[in-house]
Amino acid sequence: MTGGLVPVYRSRSSPLHAARAGATAGLCASLALVCGLYEHPLVLAAVVAAVVGAGLAAGVGREIARAARLAVPLALLVTVINPLVYAEGQTLLVRGGTLLGHRFDITLEALGAGALAGLRVGAFTMVFGLASACVDPDELLRLFRRVSYRSALTASLATRLVPVLARDAMRMGDAARCRAEPPGRLAVTRAAVSGALDRAVDVAAALEVRGYSAGGRPERDRRPWSRHDLRAGAGAVLVLVAAVAGRIAGAGTVTVYPALEVGLGPADLGLAACVLIAAALPFAGRAARLGVARA
Amino acid sequence: MPDPLVRAEHLSYAYPERAELGLCDVSLELVEGSFTVLAGASGSGKSTLLRALCGLVPHFHGGEVSGELYVGGMSVREHGPGELAAVCGTVFQEPETQVVMGGVRAELSLPVEHRGQSAAAVARSVEEVALALGVAHLLERRTDTLSGGELQRVAIAAALVHRPALLLLDEPTSQLDPVAGDELVWLLRRLNEEWGTAVVIAEHRIERCLPAADRVVALDAGAVACDAAPSEFLAWAAADGGTLATPVARLFSLAGLGPLPVSVKAARDRLRDAGLAPTCSAILVPAPERAAPRRFGRRPRTRPALELRGVWHEIQDGPQVLRGLDLRIEPGERVALMGRNGAGKSTLLRHVKGLVQPTRGRVDTAGRVALLLQNPGDYLIHECVGEETGARGLAAAGLSDRASASPRDLSGGQRQRLALEVAVGGGPYAAVCLDEPTRGMDRASRTALAARIADLAEAGAAVVMATHDTEFAAEFADRVVLMGQGTVIADATPSEVLAGGWHFSTDVARTLAGAGGALTAEAGARAITRELVS
Repeated sequence: MTGGLVPVYRSRSSPLHAARAGATAGLCASLALVCGLYEHPLVLAAVVAAVVGAGLAAGVGREIARAARLAVPLALLVTVINPLVYAEGQTLLVRGGTLLGHRFDITLEALGAGALAGLRVGAFTMVFGLASACVDPDELLRLFRRVSYRSALTASLATRLVPVLARDAMRMGDAARCRAEPPGRLAVTRAAVSGALDRAVDVAAALEVRGYSAGGRPERDRRPWSRHDLRAGAGAVLVLVAAVAGRIAGAGTVTVYPALEVGLGPADLGLAACVLIAAALPFAGRAARLGVARA
Repeated sequence: MPDPLVRAEHLSYAYPERAELGLCDVSLELVEGSFTVLAGASGSGKSTLLRALCGLVPHFHGGEVSGELYVGGMSVREHGPGELAAVCGTVFQEPETQVVMGGVRAELSLPVEHRGQSAAAVARSVEEVALALGVAHLLERRTDTLSGGELQRVAIAAALVHRPALLLLDEPTSQLDPVAGDELVWLLRRLNEEWGTAVVIAEHRIERCLPAADRVVALDAGAVACDAAPSEFLAWAAADGGTLATPVARLFSLAGLGPLPVSVKAARDRLRDAGLAPTCSAILVPAPERAAPRRFGRRPRTRPALELRGVWHEIQDGPQVLRGLDLRIEPGERVALMGRNGAGKSTLLRHVKGLVQPTRGRVDTAGRVALLLQNPGDYLIHECVGEETGARGLAAAGLSDRASASPRDLSGGQRQRLALEVAVGGGPYAAVCLDEPTRGMDRASRTALAARIADLAEAGAAVVMATHDTEFAAEFADRVVLMGQGTVIADATPSEVLAGGWHFSTDVARTLAGAGGALTAEAGARAITRELVS
């Protein structure tokens, strides 16, 4: 799965990896919140820049590039589909025909709205990529196990089974090529799916004998907060506060229909700056670059 | 006298919707600190007994139980796997499906966290078990980056992290190469001797475990057929037809020597005491250096079944798996491809089949090539056995009467035979390649496979088998190609390559120190008998 589009977590010596999973995940979640609340191109571009910068500084540039390979086609897809679906807007670019009673006109506003939505999807995907590469899923799931033990363990299993099933599917594909009469994709897919059920039963049996059914909530993590934890946590809080405050203050306002209007004021610039500063915060200072606890 | 750790009283069990009993009137006791080997053919009930001991039977699988089974003083009827896990750790066959978490440290922490221990206690338990089992260097690794042997060690560590008194293992070495398998058995021996953990292990290759065991329980059709010390078990197995006997025990039995030794060391000692070892050594086979790669100065005029010329397989940003490999195999030849993991055996077979293309060099075949990959289950994609291959294939696999059964209900050996017929269906083939076909197979299945391979070779196909199984290679092959570092390092007859080997050698050859080039129990017994007569 290392060649897949979704980055995989590997322990590294970087401030983002050294910080507790809750803090790094909090930073990523606050960046994702910005993607959810705003569609201003400057703010979204700041999020993408923050992700790329943090990823490079954390030594996961390759993983971020992999996420970008997923994000860019997704963004383009949304950009292309939106003007085909929505015909609102004042500026007509292409006059299309009518199909099944629907008129296919392409407007500048619909194209712009698609581009903004695509940028939002792309930025969100990049944030997800950063989280996948920098947040230890086991530690994160341990946090969630305190809230909902069984759901978290199920999620953990599902995460664990993905690469196993991918390898199974690859092997079955090779075996299909080795048959005297290669079967259709449907037959192989069906066998892979039923094989996944067998795998799931095996894993369930392994869980049972590890004492899962008698399991309780894990102890609360009482580790003192390290400087990496504090900086990543501070970054998360900064973005969260800036995002909420900016929303209340009306920052990042974009009007798409009937005419495309993208405002740019101090609040927008301030929010973008906060996003960049928050992403840089875990790496700021000499102390952050030296003595990273986790190799 | 303290209560035994395990006590079974007339235990019988039937899986849901199955008429036959999985366990039949089993009565036995296991004490703390014992090392017990469960022996038996495929489907004899070894796994079912282990699953009963850890509570999966009947709580997870369902079915009907009669009799009683107590583990650590708890009745398995009343206590499920979660409670029994406090007393016993369980390790299954397949390493990949036993690991639940993404990281090794989290994997080892999980069973202790389940018991609600403090973070400090969890950390201590993890450190201790990691050091004890030699996996401390893996603690920060992701589980999807571990090899099969490493995964199996981590699975054992996870089973032991809460210090259970009993460790249950179901064919833990079947998916491992011989080196990793031997290491695992040594580890179990250490656990048993140094920490007093009682071990119950089900294995097909019992010769690995027998020297460490103090007891062997042989099962047949779910019932206990023999429950004795290893040496007594070997005497019983030899008298019972020899299918469960170790190669060395068969050697002694066929040569009329006794008592039967439980290890190669004991066998050599007995031969030495009998004055046989030195004279046997006098007829040593050619030294290993004679087993050099074949060089083809003038090519034979006949067309080979397959020929590889200067084949390289170089992974981008990775190692060179094959390095200018030359190999020529004639029609009807039976070739065992041997070498350590990563030597390039499987990659070579994939090149022959055309699943991958060489970076440089050429692969020529005289016709179609069949390839049976390592996991036979990957070939079985239909709902019933009859849909997988035609009537002739079913007959060749000995499964004509199971046409309506689901492939999942077949034993390991049956699945392997069916997968082979799926792969070789629609023949004839110039070459038939098999990748580790004997993994996890009992002796009967291996014998059936050997017979089928002989049929294919007689039909004119070159049979090439990548294997770690030296005993099977000795029986099946007429040529052994030893690979290392992506190239051929020895290419000769089985006697020349395997009789003088250190690692790549059979137990019989080790016992006789390569005398007479004997690799199998039969050949070894003939050599010993000749010595006795002369």
